[in-house]
Amino acid sequence: MPGTTAFPDEELIVEDIGGGGGGPPPPPGGGDDGDGSSDDRNRRRRWTPSPKRYSTAITIGIVSILMFFMALASAFIVLRRGSDLWVTVHLPRILWANTCVLLASSFTLESARRRLFLADASGFRKFWLVTTALGFLFVAGQLIAWRQLVAQGVYIASNQASSFFYIFTGAHAVHLLGGVGALLFVSFRKFEKTKISLPAAAEITSYYWHFMDGLWIFLLALLYLGK
Amino acid sequence: MANEDSSGANYQESPRTGFLSRYLFNTNHKTIGLNYLWLALFSVFLGMAMSLLMRIHLAWPGVHLPFLSSLGSSPDRFAALTTLHGSLMVFLVLTAAPQAGFGNYFLPLQIGAREMAFPTLNLIALLATGASLLGLTTTFLIPSHPAITLWIVSVAIFCTASLLNALNFSVTTIDLRAPGMTLPRLPLTVWAWFINAILGMLIFSILLAACVCLLSDRLLSTHFFPLLNFIANQPPGVIANAVPIVWQRLFWFFAQAEVYVAMLPCFGLITHLVSTFSRKPVWKERLVVPALCGVGLFGFCVWGQHMFSSGMNPFSPLVFSLLASSLGPPATILLISWFGTLWNARVQLNTAMLFALGFISLFLSGGLSGIFLARHDLAAAAVSDDFVTGHFHLVMGVAATFAILGALFFWFPKLFGRRLNETLGKIHFWLTFAGVYCVFMPMHWLGLIAHSRILSGSSLASVTAAGSAMHSFITVAILLTVFAQGLFLINFLWSLFRGEKVLECNPWRATTLEWSVPSSPADDFGPTDPVVYRGAYEFGVPDVAEDFVPQHIAPEQVVKVKGSSVRRINSGK
Repeated sequence: MPGTTAFPDEELIVEDIGGGGGGPPPPPGGGDDGDGSSDDRNRRRRWTPSPKRYSTAITIGIVSILMFFMALASAFIVLRRGSDLWVTVHLPRILWANTCVLLASSFTLESARRRLFLADASGFRKFWLVTTALGFLFVAGQLIAWRQLVAQGVYIASNQASSFFYIFTGAHAVHLLGGVGALLFVSFRKFEKTKISLPAAAEITSYYWHFMDGLWIFLLALLYLGK
Repeated sequence: MANEDSSGANYQESPRTGFLSRYLFNTNHKTIGLNYLWLALFSVFLGMAMSLLMRIHLAWPGVHLPFLSSLGSSPDRFAALTTLHGSLMVFLVLTAAPQAGFGNYFLPLQIGAREMAFPTLNLIALLATGASLLGLTTTFLIPSHPAITLWIVSVAIFCTASLLNALNFSVTTIDLRAPGMTLPRLPLTVWAWFINAILGMLIFSILLAACVCLLSDRLLSTHFFPLLNFIANQPPGVIANAVPIVWQRLFWFFAQAEVYVAMLPCFGLITHLVSTFSRKPVWKERLVVPALCGVGLFGFCVWGQHMFSSGMNPFSPLVFSLLASSLGPPATILLISWFGTLWNARVQLNTAMLFALGFISLFLSGGLSGIFLARHDLAAAAVSDDFVTGHFHLVMGVAATFAILGALFFWFPKLFGRRLNETLGKIHFWLTFAGVYCVFMPMHWLGLIAHSRILSGSSLASVTAAGSAMHSFITVAILLTVFAQGLFLINFLWSLFRGEKVLECNPWRATTLEWSVPSSPADDFGPTDPVVYRGAYEFGVPDVAEDFVPQHIAPEQVVKVKGSSVRRINSGK
């Protein structure tokens, strides 16, 4: 029997548990656990789960969101190929400006993180707020694009292509607003009270934001090439 | 949920404010896990009642049932019943109970974490699941047009909940393991939950996307699943089967993988139970993990096998057949591992083990008919829906339910500090085991004879007669099987309040970490954090006082001598 389960002592994954730091354990969404006596709570306070969990979560979450858009994209490709009645939607010009805004926001975000790395708090804050503003600007631009299409008489129910245009841009905007929420969270949250540190929060926000950026480029290419 | 009071004696927590914040809005992973189990228990009995109604209607269409008649009995109503039975059983029972229920409770305990990675997210997922159950059940009581919309919304909510759950599970497994809990030392239950979470992350996004498109088709009159368009574009012969192909693709992409989402945690549970009650390590444990991954991977790729008749590229059925058949090897590895573990073992035949063995039997017999269905030519030519119904109920529905019941008998002492009654449990097992075979085996046969239409007059009549006799037989069998579940309910409720109390931490003499803490653990792991020193299945270790060594026992703590004084080794409180 021995040998089947007795694995050689491979590297022990000794994680940084029990390390000080970290306040009480409100999870990222805010809100207290609201359970347990003070004794119970003390014990839990000592046990801080690995801080790596945030970046792991964002990575897995990104894969999942990608899968969501891939499902939509595959439906788009299948229907585009199989349909003789495909009506072309002319992409509004403002989309190109929006794309530039979004790409610029990725650069300002990285600049902000570099300032943070150099311990330049005010510079970080400035670039971070610029990024947030650019995020809002992008969403506003998308709304203008919708208005322009509506003005041309292209509604979501007009034809398959327009349905896809609205659903792609809409779903992307909803996900992007989540990113804007994260940007605002990092700007206005007092990080003494949270479990996650400011650099970690800035890092995972940047992952998500760049992903939104790349996703938009992909969707735009799909809409442009498939029109 | 008041039932938890029975174990209240073991909780040392100070009383919290009110019932709701203690049982419903509590982010503790154990409370959440239990709540999922309550939801599943409710849904399974509701779903069973529905199947009973359907069978009675199929066997004796004239019978007027009090509840159904008041709602108006139309073909729509019957279709709604079937849909609702399926969605309750698949989503709320088979997906929720083994993964979210047992997983939330035991995954942190088994890897030595005190909480899931994101407790608040966990609570949101639970509440969303509850909301989707509410929505699904309501669909039966309202007119069909809003009901369909409500159904889609409920399924979309369930998808979101499952995604949050899967995120939590995978992050917890990756980042929150106790020191020493390396990947090879993970219990196979945890492996199964983890692989399943990854699979769930991928497929529930797809279903969510499909639901969003379908909803916008219904509410915003978009054109994602254009029925008419599709029919117009097809060559004449295909129209009979015409259904929106994109919807089919997206749906089956999810649904075929969903089968493995339901089954994967069950594989983990069964491997765990078989090893524990055979008192032997899992045979070829290192092959079992790749096999579980293989089930997940291939399960992800076989969606096309449901669409052989949908006018797809003539070569793709071959590909999907091959992929579907390639599910054979990992499934075979799992079976061989179970049999290898059972080989020459001193098996403890308690109820949990009986259910595990029952699972293996059902999985084997249900899986064999799957081989026929994986062949696209055979599937199209020889069988009808009844064959498929029999196949997937045996292999997915009932087998998974057996795994859930086995796990419940196994973990009941940890959940509630009491044992389920063994005698009642065994009677319940044998009645159910015989019952489900009597229900679903004849369904295979019905599926086969349904296509005997080529026969001439007199034999056709005999076939029809045989068919209707078989329908009656199935209905009687299902009546008895459902009533046998009353035994389980009695056993469950009685044991919850009056069952034999379990005072020791480790009544089954099992090795994993959850048995190192008191039953109905108030706080996981007490004051000291657990450290893991060995693999999860060290049974039958030579030169040790007892025949097993738990994972948390340090090498120097292991009692080596076979002396008369056997020291119980428990580090908990």
